[in-house]
Amino acid sequence: MIHVEQLSKSFDDLRRGSIVALDSVSFDVKAGEIFGLLGPNGAGKTTCLRMLSTVLQPTGGTATVAGFDVIKQPQDVRTHIGFMSCNTGIYDRMTAWEMVEYFGRLYDIEEHELQERLDRIFTTLQMQDIKDLLGSKMSTGMKQKVSIARTIVHDPPVLIFDEPTTGLDVLVARAVLKTIEALREEGKCIIFSTHIMREVEKLCDRVAVIYKGKILAMGSIPELEEEYHESDMEELFFKLIQEHEDQLAMKAQ
Amino acid sequence: MRELRDQMRDRRTLFMVAILPLLLYPAMGIGMVQMTVLFSEQPRDVVILGANDLPDYPQLLDGDRFVSSWFLIPSDANKLRVITDKTTDKKSDEPVDDDQADVVENKKRQELLEQARELETVFGKQKELLNQLRQIKGESKKEQAARQRLKQELKEANSEFSGLFAESQIQVLILVPKGLSKEIARVSEKLAQHEPITIDRAESLRPIYLRNSADEKTRIAFSQVQEVLGAYNKDILRDRLNRANLPESLPNPINPIVIDLAQDEQHAANLWSKLFPALLIIMAATGAFYPAIDLGAGEKERGTMETLLISPAKRTEIVLGKFLTVMVFSVSTALLNLASMGFTGRHMVNLAGSGALSRFGDMSFPSFTALFWIVVLLIPLSALFSALCLAFATFARSSKEGQYYLTPLLMVTLGLTVFCLSPAVEINPFYSLMPIVGVALLLKGMLLSSVNAGILYVYAIPVLVTSIGYSLLALWWAIEQFQREDVLFREAERFEVGLWLRHMIRTKDSLPTFAEAGFCFVIIMLLQFAVMNSMSAAIQAATDAERPTRMMQLLMIQQLAIIATPALIMGIMLTTSVRKTFRLYLPSIGFLIVGIVLPFLLHPLSIELAQSLSWFFPKLPEGTAAVMQSMSDPTQPIWLILTAFALAPAVCEELAFRGFILSGFGRRGRAWLAIILSSITFGAMHMIPQQVFNATLLGLVIGLIAVHSRSLLPCVVFHFIYNSLAILHGRIPKTWLPENGLEHFVSMQPEGLRYSWPLLLICGAITIVLLLWVQSQSQSKNALDAAGSSNSDSFGRRLTDSK
Repeated sequence: MIHVEQLSKSFDDLRRGSIVALDSVSFDVKAGEIFGLLGPNGAGKTTCLRMLSTVLQPTGGTATVAGFDVIKQPQDVRTHIGFMSCNTGIYDRMTAWEMVEYFGRLYDIEEHELQERLDRIFTTLQMQDIKDLLGSKMSTGMKQKVSIARTIVHDPPVLIFDEPTTGLDVLVARAVLKTIEALREEGKCIIFSTHIMREVEKLCDRVAVIYKGKILAMGSIPELEEEYHESDMEELFFKLIQEHEDQLAMKAQ
Repeated sequence: MRELRDQMRDRRTLFMVAILPLLLYPAMGIGMVQMTVLFSEQPRDVVILGANDLPDYPQLLDGDRFVSSWFLIPSDANKLRVITDKTTDKKSDEPVDDDQADVVENKKRQELLEQARELETVFGKQKELLNQLRQIKGESKKEQAARQRLKQELKEANSEFSGLFAESQIQVLILVPKGLSKEIARVSEKLAQHEPITIDRAESLRPIYLRNSADEKTRIAFSQVQEVLGAYNKDILRDRLNRANLPESLPNPINPIVIDLAQDEQHAANLWSKLFPALLIIMAATGAFYPAIDLGAGEKERGTMETLLISPAKRTEIVLGKFLTVMVFSVSTALLNLASMGFTGRHMVNLAGSGALSRFGDMSFPSFTALFWIVVLLIPLSALFSALCLAFATFARSSKEGQYYLTPLLMVTLGLTVFCLSPAVEINPFYSLMPIVGVALLLKGMLLSSVNAGILYVYAIPVLVTSIGYSLLALWWAIEQFQREDVLFREAERFEVGLWLRHMIRTKDSLPTFAEAGFCFVIIMLLQFAVMNSMSAAIQAATDAERPTRMMQLLMIQQLAIIATPALIMGIMLTTSVRKTFRLYLPSIGFLIVGIVLPFLLHPLSIELAQSLSWFFPKLPEGTAAVMQSMSDPTQPIWLILTAFALAPAVCEELAFRGFILSGFGRRGRAWLAIILSSITFGAMHMIPQQVFNATLLGLVIGLIAVHSRSLLPCVVFHFIYNSLAILHGRIPKTWLPENGLEHFVSMQPEGLRYSWPLLLICGAITIVLLLWVQSQSQSKNALDAAGSSNSDSFGRRLTDSK
């Protein structure tokens, strides 16, 4: 469903000059699979996912999402993905229902179908009681629920979650993860970025460890543990980063 | 739709847009009524010394007031309190009143009189000094020294005098000379008997008014005193004339009668025409301000921007949605404000009747046609503001930053509006093409002349077309902003000049960047502005004989220092390939030939174009006309003129505009955009509207040659030949007559040599062929040249269309 090949992105920065945020990254994600992007802050996760959602233009390489090219068919890509991140806010001056309804309309869903689907989503996410609450009056958990509802309102085959649990308390985070798990059961293709090991261990079928714009390792968790002879995911992660840093230091010398 | 509802739910916006205007004006109205009720001017103090010498008839003073009949508005008499030595003399004889207030009053009176007397003595001293100064007539050293000393003393006395006056509480001091009333009586007597009167000027008894015109209070008091004494003067004169059996109209042999034909609605129109356009524009701008910030920077702040971006809506659609919302608010703010103000105004006039408010004029509504035009013109205007505000707001990172960006926009708008308010500014073809100004002036005109607005409708078309054009341009810019990732995902950046400079030098490329090119242009413009003053001063300082030479020297220096130097410095500092930046390559022979031939073809075309458009541009100011004159000044050697006006500009301007700036603008790959932008900057550099227009068109041609030949040489050649032709054209003697078949092509007109149709057609045709050839021979191999060539087509068409 997602095919990424040699995807790169570089920015101009005043302080550091031209910086490479993502350096020739390639991976594939299949339907019914959760693919985890694991990396510290600033590793290039968000940049990568933004390019997949066509908000940013790649400076090199290609990617297809749900069979559409992110450069040539950005609009088709956007209609076939659901994107959620800690940055995707909701409107303060709209009620939960209006908000999800509005985005449903943006996806050109037929009116009666939209109403049905809204009803279903609001029931499954247990949001019926906050239906008429304004965005500004909601708690963080409620907002996150609305965001999820917005993400899946058009029933997209591909879902992109960029650190969806950042800033949430344990209960809400758990609920979000449960929802993502449920979405996998529906056969969605899910890409999921985080810097929290536990989430990866619990959720992801396959993981890519990403650091300084490069993928250091990729595979399912048992595969990775076997390859690097490290049973603890966290230790594995630090080991990979350490290796990479050593390599960089070697090069610099 | 969503955006609209969203904004409607924002209480702040709603308040600013709807409630505020509805409440503000009535509130202001009430406030104004209250103020006029409560407002009473404090009486000003006028001191008259020597009041005993004022004639008894006609009576000037009534107690401590002037007699009220001398005022135009009798109640004004209460605004001046007159203190004279006469009244105090009387009062001192009477037993002092027990009334405490009166004692205080009297004390103050005495104090003022004291100050007045002091002033009088100082004044006397001063007069004495002046007299002494006058008496010194010789030129000997001693006398000069004496004069110097006296002048010094006089100066001191002067400052002492004005200091004293400023310290005193007296607003106007009148010194009545001794024997004034007797003198007046004597002259009147003689006049009555038709006897000759000899009045010695020096000795003539004239009252003296002392005042300080820099002090607001004094100014008001003085104008009132003048009014009184003017009327008083007239009365004495009338009395004299009567007694001498002379007609009263003697002092005004021609006594015109003024008849005011203005009707009530015109009075109303006059008021509205001043207020309405200004308010409309300001309100349209402020109305767009807040929603734009909220929908641009505000969405970024709240993180909803990204949510919106990942929806399937196209960016263009998103921008259009936001734009329409902002526009609705802009339009409704403006209309609500105007309506509320109109109603309040009318209501107040009804309320106040003929009171003080009637001075503001009748406030009845403008006609329906005028209202219709207000709405029609408001729409493109709001569109312009909405798009501009949205573009700025999108660029801003936070709402606060958005406000920083938008305030200058508001200031510029305000400046233009105030400019339009001035009664002398009227709509003309040139103004009608300017943004904001055109709309303001057209509205002003429409509201002003409800009767014969015929001519104004002619302007309505260009004003509307250009306004729509400007707003589309602004909208395009807003969309462009929305397409840029660095704008959408701007993060907090620290701005340090040092860091920035290092970055620029570190990341330098073979060609300058877009921003650097723009910066270069701004520097050139600023420098030009800065030296303008000193240049004209230097030209003024030169004697008539050497002025042309001086002017040409300065022009050459200006070209080298202001235009070429910044471009060269920036080119060397900021790029790795100076050669590439300035296109220092040898062109192929073909381009060189085009560079030589094309100016000969374009010269007649541009001369005729300028002539046929001369009605459009405002007249040249005299200074520039003088420069133009010196170009065709036959007393100057031709080589000097050619160097100053053709060679220097050709080299310097080409280096800057077709070198650095064109390279910078073109780096992003859009050749046509680069050519257009560089020619606009090239035009703008010429300052004078006529030349701006001409230079912009030529800039297009030269830019085209530069891009396709990849060499600066044909451009320099073109520029040199073109300017030389213009100079030579001015130097053709007026007496020269075309013959031998030439008369079919050229003719001699009072304004110079003119070219006729056949020649123009030939020139136009060859020009198009050459330009087509230029783009077909293109040596730059990038794919975007297709865009460049389509430009050359449209350019060629433009040239022929305008014929």
